Amino acid sequence: MRLITHNMLSSNIKGVVNGFPLRIEAEKVVEKTVEMNGEFLKKMFEKIDWKAFVDASRAMGYTELPEEADSSMLDSDEFLNRFHHALLELHLEEGVLVCPETGRRFPVSKGIPNMLLHEDEV
Amino acid sequence: MIHSVLKASRFQNPRREALVLTIAISGCVCRLAFSSMKEINCKVDSSSCTLAPNREPCITESLSVSGNGTTTSSMSVKSTPEIEKKFVHHVYDAIAPHFSATRFAKWPKVAAFLSSLPLGSLVLDAGCGNGKYLGLNQDCFFIGCDISPSLIKICSDREHEVLVADAVNLPYRTGFGDAAISIAVLHHLSTENRRRKAIEELVRVVKKGGRVLITVWAVEQEDSKLITKWTPLNEKYVDEWVGPGSPHTRAPSSSSLESIPESEVSTSGEHMEVCHEAHASRYLEEEKNIKNQQEYFVPWHLPYHRAEISGASAEALAAGLATKDDKKGAVVYNRYYHVFSEGELESLTTEINNAIIVDQFFDKSNWCIILEKTV
Repeated sequence: MRLITHNMLSSNIKGVVNGFPLRIEAEKVVEKTVEMNGEFLKKMFEKIDWKAFVDASRAMGYTELPEEADSSMLDSDEFLNRFHHALLELHLEEGVLVCPETGRRFPVSKGIPNMLLHEDEV
Repeated sequence: MIHSVLKASRFQNPRREALVLTIAISGCVCRLAFSSMKEINCKVDSSSCTLAPNREPCITESLSVSGNGTTTSSMSVKSTPEIEKKFVHHVYDAIAPHFSATRFAKWPKVAAFLSSLPLGSLVLDAGCGNGKYLGLNQDCFFIGCDISPSLIKICSDREHEVLVADAVNLPYRTGFGDAAISIAVLHHLSTENRRRKAIEELVRVVKKGGRVLITVWAVEQEDSKLITKWTPLNEKYVDEWVGPGSPHTRAPSSSSLESIPESEVSTSGEHMEVCHEAHASRYLEEEKNIKNQQEYFVPWHLPYHRAEISGASAEALAAGLATKDDKKGAVVYNRYYHVFSEGELESLTTEINNAIIVDQFFDKSNWCIILEKTV
């Protein structure tokens, strides 16, 4: 699971008001180098919840992102490289995603999050 | 935490041959050339690092750990009727590799929709199956989900970004995607409310102006012989095979022509005419009901040599969820389908007030619709 995916995942348990962001408990992280696409990054920057993104990258062991960011920083190659790396190259291979409101734990195994709900959660 | 570094060179699908994995674990670094990531399995203890190649990862029934530490199955969802659990979820998990091997051709209309999306679009595929549409447009980023862990494992092995989730309850933030697709999924949902909810979810997760493509099997099959191979569901099937309380399907007439009681022989021509009219009207009603039939079991023949790979088929046979066909040398699974009539897909969208229909068409025995989110 990449952090681009994590940034859009939310706990949809019945009654949960604040299901985003899911807290990451990382057991195994994998890095996969992929080509950078500047246009895609600029488009994604508008969508990303930055605080959740920074917290998630730190939970994955990556601390090179600034606490705050604005669109002017997209002109910086250094910033773009770091943004790209955290967004698309870090993979949560094994771990857990935790609902911030209920503490419900969604497992991530072999890089695949299981977001199915229990009978009493729908 | 284990931290691994994998070097590759593609945006969506990294090259898988001759890659190099560097694993750094508490000071010790192992370097290893390998052909695909799934062949590496790391076990860590305080003293050693064991690399075990060629061990296939396995996702069977997905388990999740609840807050109190107890492990419970997350495969059954309260809102999912038994008919879907037994005749959709269970079946696709059992037939996944064989099903996937037959799913490679891309429908031109779906390909055209995906190819038309702007550079850098984020595309959500709900019910992605084996992932044949994921990554179809190299300029977009795809995230797929499916309720079948077995199919999702196939996607993951192909380096797609995927998760296990229910199309009726998507675990995504509102308005995040640029586009969404749901190809041949809604016809597996057994109630109108669930089908509508799935459409609402697809609209919810895309941004304003985002487009949603939905395709479903049609009642109006171009190959009319195909339907004769399907089993029409009626209340008898639902009660006996699935259990009371499941959604009752639109049933064909329960009486067959043979069961119509014959009137006493009479010399009155008038009476005989009435009798013939009764036969004719029953026959016409029967024909009409066949045309109105929308609930079917569609067979999937899993060859014996494939069925033997896992114990799932043996369990299914024992539970009465599959049958043997010795002539064809296959285990036969039944998949539940609600096939859509003309206008039905559009009618499901009438109560969705934040999207409009921008296109609708019939293609390869499928009804298709494209929605655009307006608010």
